[in-house]
Amino acid sequence: MAFSRNSGAPRAALRQMVARKNVLAGLLFCVVALAGLFLSRDYPIGTALRMGTGYVPRLLCWVLLALGVPVLVQGLIEVDAGRPPPAPGTSAWRPVIFVTASLVIFGLTIERLGLVLSILLLIGVGAVAARGLRPLETLAAAALLIALAWGIFILGLGLTIPVWPGW
Amino acid sequence: MELFNNLALGLSVALTPANLIFALVGALIGTLIGVLPGIGPIATIAMLLPLTFHLEPTSGLIMLAGIFYGAQYGGSTTAILVNLPGETSSVVTCIDGHQMARQGRAGAALAVAALGSFFAGCVSTLLIATFAPPLAVVGQSFGAPEYFSLMVLGLIAAVVLAHGSVLKAVAMIILGLLVGLVGTDGNTGATRFTFGITELTDGIDVATLAIGIFGLGEIITNLSQPEETRALVASKITRLWPTREDFRRAWPAVLRGTALGSILGVLPGGGATLSSFAAYALEKKSSAHAAQFGHGAVEGVAAPESANNAGAQTSFIPMLTLGIPGNAVMALMIGALTIHGIQPGPQIMTERPGMFWGMIASMWIGNVMLVIINLPLIGIWVQLLKVPYRFLYLAILLFCAIGVYTVSNSATAVLLAAFFGVAGFVFARLECEPAPMILGFVLGPLMEENLRRAMRISSGDPMIFLNRPISLGLLIGALALCVLVALPAIRSKREEAFQEN
Repeated sequence: MAFSRNSGAPRAALRQMVARKNVLAGLLFCVVALAGLFLSRDYPIGTALRMGTGYVPRLLCWVLLALGVPVLVQGLIEVDAGRPPPAPGTSAWRPVIFVTASLVIFGLTIERLGLVLSILLLIGVGAVAARGLRPLETLAAAALLIALAWGIFILGLGLTIPVWPGW
Repeated sequence: MELFNNLALGLSVALTPANLIFALVGALIGTLIGVLPGIGPIATIAMLLPLTFHLEPTSGLIMLAGIFYGAQYGGSTTAILVNLPGETSSVVTCIDGHQMARQGRAGAALAVAALGSFFAGCVSTLLIATFAPPLAVVGQSFGAPEYFSLMVLGLIAAVVLAHGSVLKAVAMIILGLLVGLVGTDGNTGATRFTFGITELTDGIDVATLAIGIFGLGEIITNLSQPEETRALVASKITRLWPTREDFRRAWPAVLRGTALGSILGVLPGGGATLSSFAAYALEKKSSAHAAQFGHGAVEGVAAPESANNAGAQTSFIPMLTLGIPGNAVMALMIGALTIHGIQPGPQIMTERPGMFWGMIASMWIGNVMLVIINLPLIGIWVQLLKVPYRFLYLAILLFCAIGVYTVSNSATAVLLAAFFGVAGFVFARLECEPAPMILGFVLGPLMEENLRRAMRISSGDPMIFLNRPISLGLLIGALALCVLVALPAIRSKREEAFQEN
């Protein structure tokens, strides 16, 4: 990682800690639990006999918090024991960004632009997520998939998805 | 004989042209995704779940079931020929299957795997037909407290038998339960965790969650890893039939694998993967040819491949009879039922006998089709292995997108699935198994409903769960499992069971 040189020891230690899967997983569970408790703060709890809207959600959030803390502690113990951190995984920003973006674009355009154009956009943006796809290959794949999708969903199943942009 | 009457009814449903076609489609898709690494039955069934909305419920279920057990057949092909598991349930098949292939016995290994799977499929179909009705009768006598306790036991067992950290798996269940709460509270009409988004008031659809977590999450995970090289050992399979010696040694292993797989499939958390790992371990420990394991022992292919098919099919028993999903695939099947407004549970057998028995009969028909699809046509599937993942994922991406859009015809569902896709990737990176989350998600609303009902029966006294003998027994079972898994001896055994190299 490029910025590690001038970040100093404490930050390196912090990164080491966060690199542990259990530390991150524990944090994730705790954050979700606390967020759930915060969101459900106004839900009526009721009693065991007449459970309100908030009874089960709050119960679950407390249980999740109770599970997240030991997972976090487990991870911190691993750090303390000085076990070497797991090898850093390959960077995943590219697939995360482009797979997500392609879906968001598809979702936003399918109703206005229709099946054909939104699939083109989906494949076009989605193809960036992988390395090594040539433009011509992508175009061929898109054409094939559009034909396939049209055949299965419009012709075969008769779904009422617009095929072309509605003017 | 009632069994034969029932099976005759089932066959009359399963043999209609439409259902035959859907069984074949399911078997073909199952084989395809089984052969292809990088996409598994959970993601596929999730993607196709919205489509079943447009089909007859029986046809839809027949197709989805075919995908699940078809994947068990297809998974062995890749394991044997490429030394990559097409499915997690064929991980152990790689060990000896690939060695057999390198010794020029690829055909024999493929045939043993397919025939073993077929035998296991036939036996487990009969097992379902025999044991499902009495279990459904037991289920019908259950009240709200019993159901709640049964779900607790089911969820705990699912975690204990799954691999990885138990603590994290339980947390994933709770996470699933919480996601299941999003939407309108059925009892009070108030909305929960909707963030003011109107589309969320109806709750999150199981297909949206599963497509995101499994379908899209897997795409991101796979793309973030360098693509594996697929070296085929034999692109031409010359001799398909095993030798007499192979047969002699494979038969008992097939029997043992089928028996073990059938039992493990019924257990919550069981199913195909656990069955194949356990069967391989059993063979290796009990075989007279123990030294040959890892060097192309035919038992090492026969046992796990029979076991994973048996386990895949018997895991339908608790889903069909009690409405309790034992694994993520069964959770999606329950989702398919609810799409059609069918309440899963013991009443399905009496209220919809045609669907119930039709699906069981279709499993046997599907297995016959699969042997044909997998043995004579093996060459075609081998060719498909040459399609690189960078093309495959574009198709998966598209089917995920359209599938999730058709769930509710709303863009919100697509955005939500994209969010769950990133979540699925994060879970995979943090080694948090997503399968328990789907179980929790599906069981969540049912659990809350039964908890509330039980509390109303008892006027708010939680002792009701302990006062009722069946409920008490189920809860003791759940507690015993928790204690067991905490014992150090069991713990190391459990880790060992999933690390077979």
